Amino acid sequence: MLLLKLCILIESRQLGVDIHFSPETMPIQLTSQAYCKMLLHAAKYPNCAVNGLLVAEKTKDRKKDSEPVLCVDCLPLFHGTLALAPMLEVALTLIDTWCKENNYIIAGYYQANERKKDSRPNQVAEKVAARISENFSDAAIVMIDNSRLTMSCFEPIVIIYDHHENKWKSRDVTLDSFEDWSEAQKITSALLEGRSYENLIDFDNHLDDLRNDWTNPMINKSVLDLC
Amino acid sequence: MASVSEMYDVGWEEMRDKLRKWREDNRRNSEQIVDVGEELISEHASKLGDDIWIIYEQVMIAALDCSRDDLALTCLQELRKQFPDSHRVKRLAGMRLEALERYEEANKHYDAILQDDPTNTAARKRKIAILKAQGKSTEAIRELNEYLEQFVGDQEAWHELSELYINEHDYGKAAFCLEELMMTNPHNHLYCEQYAEVKYTQGGLENMELSRKYFAQALRLNNRNMRALFGLYMSASHIASSPKVSAKVKKDNIKYAAWAATQINRAYKLAGRGTKETKYSVKAVEEMLESMQITMS
Repeated sequence: MLLLKLCILIESRQLGVDIHFSPETMPIQLTSQAYCKMLLHAAKYPNCAVNGLLVAEKTKDRKKDSEPVLCVDCLPLFHGTLALAPMLEVALTLIDTWCKENNYIIAGYYQANERKKDSRPNQVAEKVAARISENFSDAAIVMIDNSRLTMSCFEPIVIIYDHHENKWKSRDVTLDSFEDWSEAQKITSALLEGRSYENLIDFDNHLDDLRNDWTNPMINKSVLDLC
Repeated sequence: MASVSEMYDVGWEEMRDKLRKWREDNRRNSEQIVDVGEELISEHASKLGDDIWIIYEQVMIAALDCSRDDLALTCLQELRKQFPDSHRVKRLAGMRLEALERYEEANKHYDAILQDDPTNTAARKRKIAILKAQGKSTEAIRELNEYLEQFVGDQEAWHELSELYINEHDYGKAAFCLEELMMTNPHNHLYCEQYAEVKYTQGGLENMELSRKYFAQALRLNNRNMRALFGLYMSASHIASSPKVSAKVKKDNIKYAAWAATQINRAYKLAGRGTKETKYSVKAVEEMLESMQITMS
């Protein structure tokens, strides 16, 4: 297994971010568990940027134009300063091993920016996604639209970006972007109201105390109970 | 809805002490502060004595975080009545305007304070916070630099500046800020460890070696700092697998990395007592050690 080396360079780059196109890459789909844990992470740290990974089940043969990639779970990584490399490398390495044990593959990256009105992917998002793309060509960036984050979650508040012609372009998020939107809506709303985000563990929490479990078994159970 | 005192079976003294602890630790757990503070203020105000004023301030700021303008206004009004000409209270009024995104008015408030008292650091820092909130990072950085020329000892400001630089990917300048902090706080393991992370991110062999040294230093200051331990492992591994180092340097760094891996293993075993998560992490560490040996040969 290779050490994943991530260099975040100082170069400034033009961010290629365009809106709304018809992608040829495989669209990703989110399960309720993946969606709600992302939002819980953002809700836990309203004054910070947060980020994390999305994982999908590994399938033997991946044909294009067949089913969309189902992101079954989400692994919250960091809050606050996202632009430092060492702990990110550690997290990617450990999560990579965990994925192998569970027959998962890292399929996407999510981020919620610090400021309410800022929901564009930045250099960190692009770098991590590029890294993920080396092992999974259809990797997506999922940005949380902070300005629409509410307790009731009446509409999906993610913006999904695909890599296309060397740029990251956003796609329309429809109900098809979810395995079951009404279930996702119901569960996320319930967990937000119940303040379950207080118990969400991200990788930062894990580094503070190794007993904190970044797979979040308790929250996963709550999700299952609400299904 | 059940009150805090009912839910947690605590008396007003415990609630007051909890608020004090959160103040001392400078915690931003605003939802909890609002829950506890609101109840304390509405039910037990008379018992709090002079503490009530600092509690009003603490609860007001937390209320702003939670969009509870009603509560924030109540606290502000009490403080205004008690301290009519206070700059400290004016600053809180400014913060409320910030929370309502009325930045121009907030800036006017702070400018008025600074007219009256040019050395008022709180007002200056709030103006910088407004720039940050508006996404004007370059201006925020410039203003903060100017501020620090005058108030060289303000550690909170140095730390804020280091974060602003990191977000702009200007790691060299972020390192400079952390160096200032390390100089004045040589025993603070967190600054050492953050400095090491910045150096690591900057990249290049020299920075990686510095990074390893500072991760090691952070560990000496606090041997339970897991980030420092992982950082030591990662930086030593990178150096050992670099084609540019001598055989001796390679050998030394393999030793450091191996030591770190053992310590990480131990830490996980201690923490996990055989839970599933531990097994994966232990396995990951073993694999990390193995992969390093592959790149060695």
